[in-house]
Amino acid sequence: MPAGDDYAHLVGFGRELRARGLPVGTGRILNFCRAAGVLAPVDRRSLYWSGRATLISRPEDIELFDNAFGAYFGRSELDETMSSLFDWLDRTHAPAGETTIEGADTGAVAGFAEAEEVAGDTATRMVASGTEMLRDKSFDTLTEEERNHAALLIRHLKLSVPLRTARRLRPSVKARRFDLPRTLRSSLRTQGEPFRRAYRDRRRKIRPLVLVLDVSGSMSAYSRALMQFAFAAISAGQKVEVFCFGTRLTRVTRALRTRDPDAALGEVAATVQDWDGGTRIGESLRGLLDEYGQHVALRRAVVVLCSDGLDRGDPDVLAAQMARLGRLAWRVIWVNPLKGSPLYQPLARGMAAALPHIDVFLPGHNVASLEALGRVLAE
Amino acid sequence: MTALPFSSVEELAGGLRQHLYLPDRGLATSIYLALSLDKPLLLEGEAGVGKTEVAKVLAEMLGRELIRLQCYEGIDASQALYEWDYSRQLLAIRASDAASAAAIDLFGPQFLVERPLLAACHAGSGAVLLIDELDRADDEFEAFLLEVLAEFAVTIPEIGRIAAQAPPAVIITSNRTRDLHDALKRRCLYHWIDHPSLEREVEIVRVRAPHVAEPLAREVAQAVARLRNMEVAKRPGVAETIDWSNSLAFLGAPHLDNEAAEATLGAVIKDHEDFEYVRRHIDDVVEDDAGRG
Repeated sequence: MPAGDDYAHLVGFGRELRARGLPVGTGRILNFCRAAGVLAPVDRRSLYWSGRATLISRPEDIELFDNAFGAYFGRSELDETMSSLFDWLDRTHAPAGETTIEGADTGAVAGFAEAEEVAGDTATRMVASGTEMLRDKSFDTLTEEERNHAALLIRHLKLSVPLRTARRLRPSVKARRFDLPRTLRSSLRTQGEPFRRAYRDRRRKIRPLVLVLDVSGSMSAYSRALMQFAFAAISAGQKVEVFCFGTRLTRVTRALRTRDPDAALGEVAATVQDWDGGTRIGESLRGLLDEYGQHVALRRAVVVLCSDGLDRGDPDVLAAQMARLGRLAWRVIWVNPLKGSPLYQPLARGMAAALPHIDVFLPGHNVASLEALGRVLAE
Repeated sequence: MTALPFSSVEELAGGLRQHLYLPDRGLATSIYLALSLDKPLLLEGEAGVGKTEVAKVLAEMLGRELIRLQCYEGIDASQALYEWDYSRQLLAIRASDAASAAAIDLFGPQFLVERPLLAACHAGSGAVLLIDELDRADDEFEAFLLEVLAEFAVTIPEIGRIAAQAPPAVIITSNRTRDLHDALKRRCLYHWIDHPSLEREVEIVRVRAPHVAEPLAREVAQAVARLRNMEVAKRPGVAETIDWSNSLAFLGAPHLDNEAAEATLGAVIKDHEDFEYVRRHIDDVVEDDAGRG
């Protein structure tokens, strides 16, 4: 059995992981010590695997765990087993360096967010008479102050996504299905005569809403507005997932849950690479479908794509991925701000390729059209 | 703690091997720890890496009963724990006259339909409980499961408390279509099952499909490894490798060439778009000159 000092050493490793940001509670550390006790005498390999089994429970955490293990217990003969792990990580996760971007690019967006914080108070004092005009003004022509006001308007939209029927049944007064168990139970009170007949009906569940936002240079003003839209949906109690893409896909749902939209956008700026690198919608969609295609968030969901459809990738890829998305989602809505212009025709190759797989095609360039989007969602 | 028929990770791994399951070191350690510490083992990994198989082989090896709870969206306590057989109760009431009706115990054990979790409480350490694809069930079900896993005791108001003497071995699998709740994860040991290395996969095919010759098994394993690196939506698992080897051996193909691969591709690729894609790139999957001459 390990001695007291050894246990202190093991506990120290648990605390090290906690310091590195992993949710390692006392219970997990206790399990780790027990596991090491069971395997005693422990070699590095058993120690490594007992830590893996007890201290973490997500594949994403493996890399962090490996680093911490290497740093804490020293790196040596473990490398052989570890190398196969790194192979796997390389395939599923991009190297850390790739996801950060140059300071110059973030500066623009971060500055934007700061400016808005300063102007925050004035926005709330704006008079209502301007509201009607603002509703019809395109997002990319708004001044800072108007933008804040528009953000408020969007955030106060009442949003709802239609419910879907679930498999489970619940008691209901509407006669849909006869409920024999309940009828029988209540008949026991009346000497076995089923005076009171019970019925049940399908439960209803919230249908998830997935927003996929193009954040490339020309689209950022509109995507910001849709980010506010996502906020409104979250605060209306909807299940919402938000993804951003330029040339790569980033999931920003977590950022949106914890902070305000501006901070969230700042965070997106820090993780999304090359804002002006052009848009690769097809590739990004493939990333989304490969990684989250099996995820409940996407299955039978309402998917809102926001992009101008000016795709630099292969239109065939886009068409194939849109077809996949169409099969997986309950409804696909494409929001294209260019459609706000009466002269617009969906002739861009990407847009034309995607069009057959879209259920609803909307402009979404101003507050009024986002209200329309809200109405479409509720249908 | 239940007495285990093995005293080290190596012995356990050896036992699993005898029952045709080839675990790697990490998995064997996790199973050993789960059994020693009486904790549920949560296995995650892509489809077809052999998560469910662990429970089956473990039950076989330990000579225990395998109790399987298959989860699905909307599963609830009556499908997992127990249910009263209402139709039989109704018949019993109808069949008896007024005098004897009072004598029937309508909520006695004979009208109870036992579901997997209650069966596991009854069997206790004589069973391996497999909770399969827990990610498909709803969050509420997870919370309910947490309660059962903590105590392995179920209270049925009409009958009383049924508690396991010693908890059964519990294997939980998840395909990770959603994250399981942290409270549940904290209670479990965790292992992520990865696709096996080439050598191990060849060995697995040889063990599971002994009539497949070694060169063919190797070619298939190599081809599957290449497929996993291609841009396919659904990456083939070990089960597919075995299926594919079996199909080829059944057709009498001595080697994996383009023609044989195309004819049997359905055994390994099961998505239409992937299928078309792979067929177009079949040369990248099959190394025609390998193993010849």
